[in-house]
Amino acid sequence: MQWGHDPKLAQLLDEVQRLKLSRRSVLRRAAALGVTGSALATALAAAPAPARAQSKTRIRLATWAGADEANELQGVIDKVNQEATNFEIVSEPTPADYYVKLQTTIAGGTAADLFWLSQEYIAGYADQGALLDITDRLEGDSRPAANLSDYFEPILRTAQYQERTYGLPWISQPVLLYYNPDLFAAAGIPEPDDTWDWQRFQEVAAQLTDPSKGIYGTAFNGWPPVQMFIWQAGGEVITQDLSSCPVDSPEAIQAAEFYASIIFNEEYAPSEATLQEQGFGEMAKAGKVAMFFGGAADDLDYAHKKDPANARMKVALVPKGPQSRTTFAWTASTVIYAGTENADAAYDALVALTEGIHHWKVVAPRQSLANEETITASVPDKQESAPTIIKAMPDMRSFNIIPRHQEWDEIFWNEFQDPLYHGEGTAQELAQSVRPKLEELLP
Amino acid sequence: MVGWYTLTLVDYAIAGTAIIVSMVVLNKVLRWLGVNREAATGYALILPWLLGFLIWNLGPFIASFYFSLTEYGPLRSPRFIGLDNYVRMFRDDPNFWPVIRFTFLYSLFNVPLGLLGALFTATLLNQNVRGLGFWRTVYYLPAVLPAAATALLWRWLFARSGLINFILRPIYNLLDIEAPSWFTEPRLILPGYIIMGMWGVFGANTIILLAGLKNIPRDLYEAAILDGAGRVKRYLTITLPMLSPSLFYVLIMGIIGSFQAFTVAFFVDHSRRVGTFINVYIYEQAFGRLNGMGYAAALGWVALVIILLFTLLVFKSSPAWVYYEGERAG
Repeated sequence: MQWGHDPKLAQLLDEVQRLKLSRRSVLRRAAALGVTGSALATALAAAPAPARAQSKTRIRLATWAGADEANELQGVIDKVNQEATNFEIVSEPTPADYYVKLQTTIAGGTAADLFWLSQEYIAGYADQGALLDITDRLEGDSRPAANLSDYFEPILRTAQYQERTYGLPWISQPVLLYYNPDLFAAAGIPEPDDTWDWQRFQEVAAQLTDPSKGIYGTAFNGWPPVQMFIWQAGGEVITQDLSSCPVDSPEAIQAAEFYASIIFNEEYAPSEATLQEQGFGEMAKAGKVAMFFGGAADDLDYAHKKDPANARMKVALVPKGPQSRTTFAWTASTVIYAGTENADAAYDALVALTEGIHHWKVVAPRQSLANEETITASVPDKQESAPTIIKAMPDMRSFNIIPRHQEWDEIFWNEFQDPLYHGEGTAQELAQSVRPKLEELLP
Repeated sequence: MVGWYTLTLVDYAIAGTAIIVSMVVLNKVLRWLGVNREAATGYALILPWLLGFLIWNLGPFIASFYFSLTEYGPLRSPRFIGLDNYVRMFRDDPNFWPVIRFTFLYSLFNVPLGLLGALFTATLLNQNVRGLGFWRTVYYLPAVLPAAATALLWRWLFARSGLINFILRPIYNLLDIEAPSWFTEPRLILPGYIIMGMWGVFGANTIILLAGLKNIPRDLYEAAILDGAGRVKRYLTITLPMLSPSLFYVLIMGIIGSFQAFTVAFFVDHSRRVGTFINVYIYEQAFGRLNGMGYAAALGWVALVIILLFTLLVFKSSPAWVYYEGERAG
């Protein structure tokens, strides 16, 4: 915007508009820039922008973003704020104990207008009346980020509860197989391709393992979740209608036994203690794990560009299971606090911010944005991996979520997975014993 | 534009003014009721503390008992369910008894070992050696170090390639075993925490016992020496009885502290298959799920009863082993 011919005056007025300086700060900056009082008064009187900026509703956004992520997010927010006429988003990142603080602020009635929720929390928060139902607002909204039919259905479902929508997902990252091409080349083994199944994966993992060099073929620690293997075998842990937990079905048992046989298997994977001490992802980055499962947004495939000490890694599709190649997708949504005093502005901010985040995060959970160009534009370093990421998206899905998902998950881990991985029972025994307890928590 | 900090400062100023006004009003009311000036001033002056105690201690204490009888989460109002939380705790919760067992076993070893360690250290510091002030400062350092930083330090020490395993390597070689991972092998988790718990003995407990040792009259030792008592005899018949009030205090605080262990376990993540400390479990129940506050409150009350029982037990036993010079003289 042009503010007359005096560049110093133009600079000062731009600062007034952008930074909302106090009267004293304006006078101090004017003195520093050598702008006269009369020129400043005339220009301020003619400038309409500050008055418009003050009429914007302040919308607080709570996130778990760490320092780097929060900086990147601020860039997105700045653009959104610049274009917005009725709101201004203020970021409030809480990298540690996010959910504890979030619950406390909700209990105290001081929660942010918008906040991030990971997939497993949304149904519970919605069930307890903490989230604003945005179904009707979305129906009358023609903006692309509000078009629910564009979202991947399994991902969108995580933001819905009892057929109502409570948030907009901003990421969907399918699990991929990250592999170290240098270790494959050194062992003379062809790199993974779309024909791989889990048997081939195990064979190659064993061939790549070299205990004398501290190199393992692969690594598991409960990640990726056992659900992915159960889905690939054609089973479920919670049915889509949320009516049962068939963890003792033949498909689920087969998958759980398989996972128990590969996790911490010293033939090709590090022990639990080694993983705990050396770090799960860190071992892969250090070139000690030949094949590692990570989310599509992970930086494993370009970490070596940031720091040459990191191993070079490429991506491939997750191996095929007995029935399908279904892969787990981690997703999260931005939701609106039910107690917000600015529901209209918060909703506008939600849609605008979601559009912004969809051009920042990999992968946007929208079919129209699930293409190599958008991924590369969002994260240029993902260019090489983009085709594989796109190929993985049709097979991705998320959990079927219930309101008491944290309790469910705790029981599923403590009374099924943990004892299974430590040889304290067979999958059949543990599944039969845990199923009634899991089903007791269903809505 | 008024910032949040300014608003907070204004809140503080209003609260401070309200408290001062309340103090003045209380003083006037008491004087009007015929209370003498000194007493009225005293009550007015302790009013801020009293308000704090009622609002931040007694109020939540009573409220937590009510919450223990409810299904309650931070997102929803409490729903009264009677004794269901307690029934669930004792009958249905598979984690409750392992948690109690873990906390109890930790206390069983940690309290006596901590007491003996503090007594030993205090006795050493009570000797006439050069640079005593320096050694006292060194031994008190653990008490002033942040608990979280200490916990992380211990986590490194207990790593498979950490200092503890390095020191014990000759023993491992002798027994032909691999260096263990202390916080993933279930049988080593409790011993790991007990060893970490010893850290606490070099702090406040040592200083309290040292102060107790310094208070023992020298003439008792002189008389004993004249009577031909040796060092061991003097320690057992003079030092320990005269130190017993301090030992009693350290024991009580040790029991309470060990049952309330939290920080170290919060930062040193270990396998839950052997249980965890009850305070960590309470925290997980309260904040790890959406409706666990009521159950966490019930766990808190059970923890209180357990601590109270052990404390009462020690109090009851105290006439048999705690010697108060004043009582005898009286």
